Formats: sequence, C-alpha cells, structure tokens
Amino acid sequence: MKPIFALVSLIIASPTFAQSEFLGDVPHFVEQSEIAGINHQYRGPFEYFVGGGAASFDCNNDRMNDLFIAGGEMPAKLFRNTSKAGQDITFSEQPISVTGEISKVTGAYPINFDNDEHMDLMVLRVGQNQILRGLGNCTFAKANDHFLFYGGDAWTTGFSAIWERDATNPTLAFANYIDRDAPGSPWGTCEDNVLARPNADGNYDQNQPLSPSFCSLSIMFTDWNNRGNFDLRVTNDRQYHRGGYEQLWNLNSGGRPEQFDARDGWQKLIIWGMGIAQTDLNADGRPEYALSSMGDTMLQTLDEDAEDDRPIYRDMAYERAATAHRPYQGDDLKPSTGWHTEFADFNNDTRPDLYIAKGNVERMPDFAEIDPDNLLMGLPNGKFSEQGGAAGIALPRRGRGAIVEDFNADGMLDLLVVNREEPVSLFRNLGRKTDWGYTPFGNFLAVELRNNDVNRNAVGAKISVKTGNLTQTHTVQIGGGHASGRLGFIHFGLGVAERAQVRIKWPDGDWSQPYRVFANNFVVLDRDDPDAKYWYPAR
Amino acid sequence: MKTVICSLIFMFVGQQSVAQSTPVWAEKTPSIGAIETIPNGLQSKTQLEQLREIGEALFTAQFTDQDGAGRPMATQAIIPTKPRRELRQAFARTSGMDANACSSCHNQPFDGGAGGFVANVFLSEGFNNHEFDTTDPEFSNERGTNHLFGAGLIELLAREMTAELVAQRTNALSKARENGQATRVALVTKDVSFGYITAMPDGMVDLTELDGVDTDLVIRPFSQKGVMTSLRQFTVNASNHHHGMQASERFGARWTGETDFDEDGYADEFSPADVSALVAWQASLPAPTVWQPSDNAWQDAARKGAEYFDDFGCTSCHRTALPLDSLHFYDPGPVDAAGTLNKHDVANPAIYDLSQLDWVNSLEQNEQGQFMVPLFGDLKRHKITDPENDLLGNELFSQRFVGRDIFMTAELWGVGSTAPYGHRNDFTTLDTIIRAHGGSAKPAKDAYTNAQEEQRSAIVAFLKTLRIEVAE
Repeated sequence: MKPIFALVSLIIASPTFAQSEFLGDVPHFVEQSEIAGINHQYRGPFEYFVGGGAASFDCNNDRMNDLFIAGGEMPAKLFRNTSKAGQDITFSEQPISVTGEISKVTGAYPINFDNDEHMDLMVLRVGQNQILRGLGNCTFAKANDHFLFYGGDAWTTGFSAIWERDATNPTLAFANYIDRDAPGSPWGTCEDNVLARPNADGNYDQNQPLSPSFCSLSIMFTDWNNRGNFDLRVTNDRQYHRGGYEQLWNLNSGGRPEQFDARDGWQKLIIWGMGIAQTDLNADGRPEYALSSMGDTMLQTLDEDAEDDRPIYRDMAYERAATAHRPYQGDDLKPSTGWHTEFADFNNDTRPDLYIAKGNVERMPDFAEIDPDNLLMGLPNGKFSEQGGAAGIALPRRGRGAIVEDFNADGMLDLLVVNREEPVSLFRNLGRKTDWGYTPFGNFLAVELRNNDVNRNAVGAKISVKTGNLTQTHTVQIGGGHASGRLGFIHFGLGVAERAQVRIKWPDGDWSQPYRVFANNFVVLDRDDPDAKYWYPAR
Repeated sequence: MKTVICSLIFMFVGQQSVAQSTPVWAEKTPSIGAIETIPNGLQSKTQLEQLREIGEALFTAQFTDQDGAGRPMATQAIIPTKPRRELRQAFARTSGMDANACSSCHNQPFDGGAGGFVANVFLSEGFNNHEFDTTDPEFSNERGTNHLFGAGLIELLAREMTAELVAQRTNALSKARENGQATRVALVTKDVSFGYITAMPDGMVDLTELDGVDTDLVIRPFSQKGVMTSLRQFTVNASNHHHGMQASERFGARWTGETDFDEDGYADEFSPADVSALVAWQASLPAPTVWQPSDNAWQDAARKGAEYFDDFGCTSCHRTALPLDSLHFYDPGPVDAAGTLNKHDVANPAIYDLSQLDWVNSLEQNEQGQFMVPLFGDLKRHKITDPENDLLGNELFSQRFVGRDIFMTAELWGVGSTAPYGHRNDFTTLDTIIRAHGGSAKPAKDAYTNAQEEQRSAIVAFLKTLRIEVAE
C-alpha cells in the first residue's frame, strides 16, 4: 500500500506524464504478411486512388475467416485461412476457380444472399458490380444473372445491406463516386448512389437512384434511433462534390427514401468523408459514429436535443481526444488522410478502441505524406489515447481498407490493412509485451449468431453482453468502413469478468433468453436452441 | 508467534523501515509490503516458511485506515465497480466491508478455520442493490465461513481435474474431426463423473449433458457453490469485499486506469507479492486428519460409522479420498482468468513443494504413487433439494450461473472441528444436516434416516473424528 499523495507527486514530477496516460495493455503487433503467404497490392490509376478494400468471411465452413482482397487494376485475390489456433497466421492463395480472375475491384463485402450454407460476396468495381455466389470450399460463381441483379457501370466505393422487416432477401445500397464520363469530370460530377430492394421473387430487377448524391466513399444501414428501422448513412468526399454534405436517408420502413434535412435537425456537415464506423459507446442503443476524413476525424453522438425523428448530432472527437487530425509521429505536421475506420476492442479491456487507416491520396502536397495508421485505445474515462506507434502498426504505407479479425482464433484481434501501391500489411496481435514474452490481455468472448432460414447471419441483430454493471452492444452489420467488411464471430473484450450474460435482439425484433457463457470461449448462439454451444478451433 | 513474525518482517523490510522511521506502534500493518517482489521459482523450505510467516501475519492482521482498509467508492463486486455515491458507512455487517481481519471469521478451531453463525457472510453480486442493510434473503445469500485447512491440496486436485477434463474435450474434438462423426465422451476425472459432451466434426461441442461442472470445464473448488477457481482469486475477491483492501492485480491501473480505485487515499493496497504471501500461507495449511479418540467406545463407533458412511452411499459424493499426482503448488496458477494473476502474467511462477511440509507425511499414497487427499468430497456440484426436502434450498439468488438448489459437495475433512453445519451454518448438529439432504443425496439420506439409531450414532461418531488437529 502506498499513500496516494506520494504517487501524485511522482506523476507530476515525471516528464513522461503525457506518455504514461494510457495505463492499460498496449497490444503488440508484428507484421507478418510474408509469413502468412499474402503477397498482394492494390494498384492502379486515378480510379484506384480510393477503394482498396477486403472482405473477411468463412468460405469453407471451418469458422476460420478467409480473405478476398481487392486489387484495383490487378486481379483481386482469394486467400484461404490455414491458421491453427494461437499459431502464426497462415493463408493459402486459392483461385476463384469458377469465375476466373476479377479485376477493377475496389472492395468487397460478404453477404449471404440466398440463405444457403455458403457465404456470397458483393464485389465492388469500377464498372459492373458483381455478386459472387458461394458454392462451397471457397469456390464461387458469378451470379448477377442468377439474382437478376444489374451491377451498373458506376465507380462503386461503398456497400451496405440489411434485411428490411419481413423481407426474405436483403436490401442493398451502393455508394458511387465520380461519374467519370460526365462533362467536367471529376469536379462536381458525382454519380448517384443506388438503393436496390428485392422484388417478391427475391430478384433485383429495379435499382433506385438516391439523388442527390455527393461522391460517396462509404455507406451504412444503421438504426440510429434504436427504433428497429434501419436508415442509410452516407459519407461524402468534398474534394469532388459541389454543394454536398453528409447524408442520412430516411428509408421510411421500406417506403420511399427521403433525406433528413435541417427541418429534422440534421445539420449540414461537409468533410472529406471516407469511412464510417459505428459503435455504442454508452450502451444506450443509439450508436455513435466515427467518420474518417482529411484532417479531423469526426466522432458523433446524438445531441441532447435529438429525438426519435430528429437526428441531431454533435461532434465529440475533441473532447474524447479522437480527432487524429495529423500524424502522431514524425515531423510532418500537415493534416492526415483517414480511410477505413472501425471500432474494436484490441486489448480486451471492455473499452472500444478506434482504428483508422491513414494514407495520402496520391501526392497531395497539402496533406501528410508519411501518415501512420491510428490505434486510438479507449480509456476508462471515455477518452482515447493514441498507441499506434507503441503497438507497431505505424508503417510508412498508404492505408485504405482494412479488416479487424481474430485470424488465428487466439482471442486477440489481428489487423489486415490494404495499402495503395504497396504490399498488404497483416499485423498479428501477439498480446501484451513483457520482459518474459507476450502475455494475454483481458478475457474475451466471441459470439456467432445463427438466425433462421432467412438472414442466416442475423444481419441487423443486436448483441448485448453484460458483465457486472457494464453492457456492451454490437449490431451485426454489412457496410461501412472503407470498401471493406466482414461477417463471422463478433469479438467482445470482457476485461476481468470470468463470465457474461448475452442477449440477442434478433433482426425481426424478438429478444432471446439470456445465454450464460464463460469467458475466453467462442460461442455459437442458434436461434432455435436454448443452449449456447461452444466452438473450438483446430490446433 | 507474534514476536517471530515481527522479527521476520523487519528482516524483510530491513533498512527501509528504519529509513522511513515508522514507529513500531504505528497504526499500520507492517506485513503489508514486507516482500516487495512476487516470489518466483522453486521455493526452499526456508523460503516457504518465511512466506508463510508473512502470509499468516497478513491473514491475522487487523487492517486499518492507514493500510488502505475501506472502500468508500467501490462495491463488494468481484469486477471493479463504483457505487453511484460514496458508501454511507465504512463497515456494514450485511454488504460489507464486514471484517477487520481474515481471521476475524476464519478462526475455528484455529486461524484459517471456519466460523460460527455469527461469522456468516452476506453475498450479493455487488452490482445492483449493493448497499443492502437487511439480512432478508431477498437481498443476499447468507453463507457460513468455510475452513481453509488443506486448501492447497484441494486446489491442486482441482487443477489436475480441470486439465484432465480439458484434455478429454480436446481428444473428443480430435476424434470427431478425424472421423467426421459426432463423438460423445464421458467426462471422468479421478473417478468422478461430470456427465458427457458431444464433439462435432466442425469443432462444436454440445454441453447439454454436463453434470456438476461449468461449461468451460474448469473445476472451481472454493466456496459453498464451487464458483471460485483458486485461493488467489478468492483472496483478491475477499480482500476487497470484507476489508476494502484492493489488490492491484485486479483493481489497479491496468484494468481500471486508477491506482486508488476505491478512492480512500491509498494506492495499490495489496501488491501481487502481498497476495502471494497470503496464498502461500493458505495453500500450505495442514490438511485435517482422522483423529483417534482415546475413548474406546468412540473408537469402535467411529470405525463402524465409517463403514456405514460408505454403505449408505454417502461416499458417492463425499469421496473418502481423491488421488493427487503432484504436490507442487504453482502460484500464480494455470487456470485463473484475467483479473487474477495467472502463470502467464509472471516471468516465473513460484513453486511451493508441499512435500517439504511435515504434515504432508500423513498423506497415504496409492500403488501409483499418487497422494490420497482425504477430503471426503468430490469437487462436484449436486442438486441438494427436492420437493420433499427443501431445507437447503433457502437461497433466492443463483450465484454465478449456479442454481439456488445446487451446491458443491462439502468437503467433510475437519467437520468435527467446525460446527455448526450447512451452507448457512444454521444446523447445530450433524444429525440434522444429514437429514436436510435432498435431491441427488436423497438415497443416502434415506438410508441414514431409515437406519437404526445405533448406526446413525456411529456415523456421527465417525464424522466427529474428522478434525483439524493442529494449526501448524
């Protein structure tokens, strides 16, 4: 025991006070894409300055997520996860056999269109977007015709999907960037975004333009007011739009989309919007949003004047120390450029951390050239502490899309970053670095949901994990980030809790009974099974 | 004894104490911080004895405000939890803090022992309604104080059983994956059955046939419910709950961002080394023994009672002894989850070779060379009530996922020294607590109640020979 006054004086006297603010576990990453067998770059001219995404999903039903990575003008690649639990991350490149090579890909999102046993992919392209229908064992077939899906001819950079109430097939939203064929392109020539709702047969034979659109780079269905109806949030790039702003579309529960505007309290915000992430920092059911941009990252929460039909947001990035507006190391003080953004608990301390991929667009002189990715670690007081350098992810590469995933099933989240014109970075999370090696963080829980025959992966479901007085929530989503998405086990840090109660609000609004589960397990919750099952990875 | 402890503490603290000029009459506990670094590696008998001395001093210390006792801004919860406002009073017999020293309750027949009804503890999770001021079971579960003699052997048994169960699960999964077929296996360790699991080829495990163990297959041997993994975890929990002495390994900056989580003005009240000393002392407390009464009639009755105890089926749960492979007690141990130090959190765990302790010589060994731990228990949970007999179903809250009518088999070693009985300490005789058994114990209880008076008396005679004989 030490009297506290002694400690206070020590801290005040220490010149390293600012560095010692973060007292929790800093995750230690090592880049091992070469060991993992991933040799891939996202390359190409102007159309590929943006995009550069990846999809993480299980294409061979072994519950170890595999990877599809965009290549820009180069072919996209598929990597099958061959990792063993707790070991080095390894992948095996596999041809997308049925389809042959696919190029002009900007990003991809996993989605199960037909509710069968195999995950499908929505592949975003410069040109026609492509549904790849999973056939099992990581093989795919082009399936636009199968689903009567018109892939368009736009420059697509974002995607989101949701099963609207009572629908057996998902509603799709596509974020499109610049209409490169329009006169005056690229400035002020934004392509319309598209909403594609399935018809009664489950086909997509009519696409609905979302006009106006403002050169969008990310799009996400979100239940912003916790009413069970998903609306559509869009982030837009001010570099090319004229008179544009950030958007929230009211989908009117399956009705005609309408923009929220000033009459609804929606405040005009103009940024270089590039990525969207959501989490529920205060577990009130209404998510907070991180919007990556050039310069300040936005961290938005509903204002106290907001109501269920009044989406009034305020930015709290500054008060939470999450602006991440310029490089945190080096001597380049120019604004940085943010892309993929994602909340996740990288050190299992129960507090959401915020990852932001960073990287100059392409020799933009007014923005930082060396721009390391951010790892903003959540603090007990709700603020964030930049630990990207200490964590080992500050490589001089131009990040774009990213995947946060526990690739080797060791209970710690790893990180894949798709870089422009440079190799993909694969960071294995080794845990807490000590003098005697690496040790685990706090406890964790990984949750997989099995919905019924419609929407098998329970997209739109809300997971509540309760430990003590703390409730963590997570909405299963397809969309957001920057051209990158994932489906599979959902990771929760449990800190010092040995056990947790989990409840699910299924996509149709039904609540599950509480599931009682022990920490440090991969838990599968089947809607039709009152008991949780545990899954154990191969070792 | 106290003189020895003081001398030892001064030996550890040495010049530092002199330099700080702390007067010997200071209202502080000198054994706190007596060792500055957590012990590591195999400890010699002398080193273990020194640790035990410190541990005993901590166990019997009356913690003071100046030690950091009190938790004005922390509840009794095992997960660091702050109340909405400062607790109204430092001590509360109900919600705690409720004891000055560990030995305030653990003292029958010696320090480290059990407690009478007056030393019952009121358990709530400490999250909601944490500041209750009533003994009404609507607010808490009331529990008697268990003794700790032989606790090191209990934890070692639990660790070995956990490892065996986990290995059985791993083997089942390997077979299922290899054969492509569901594989149902019986979970049995040390001849105690814990039901079945079914492993699927895809790595899924069906847990619905588990019996008496948590779904993670961790044997948690401590507390009446069997929900505490280790002496270390129990020590960290109890230090906060009962004394407001917060161990940094759970309440410290790594997890809470604060060094003084309970906001009483004292940082890092218990270091990992302090906790280690407490664990070392508890883990090396001698095991209870079977006492030989001088009275011939008692001897004869006890001998017959032991036979009846077996014949009536009591030993189906109150196993006479369980075999233990190793007497090496690692601390921190292998099983604890984050929030209690485990072996990964230190460079080199301490190893206490319990065979160095004289009392261990009394343990019998079987043909395989295993040490037979005479605990009269099975480290398994059982349902203990039924519709005809719900005397032991008097709790309203499940605890950590364990139903209100389910309890860990009480280890009966030492029961002859630790009256009263039952998880609430509200049975004054062995006869009444035996008759209170229901549920899975009903056949044995029926055999007892249907037996002749002489047979029942013999069983009582036998149980009264299971005593805690010497403190050291």
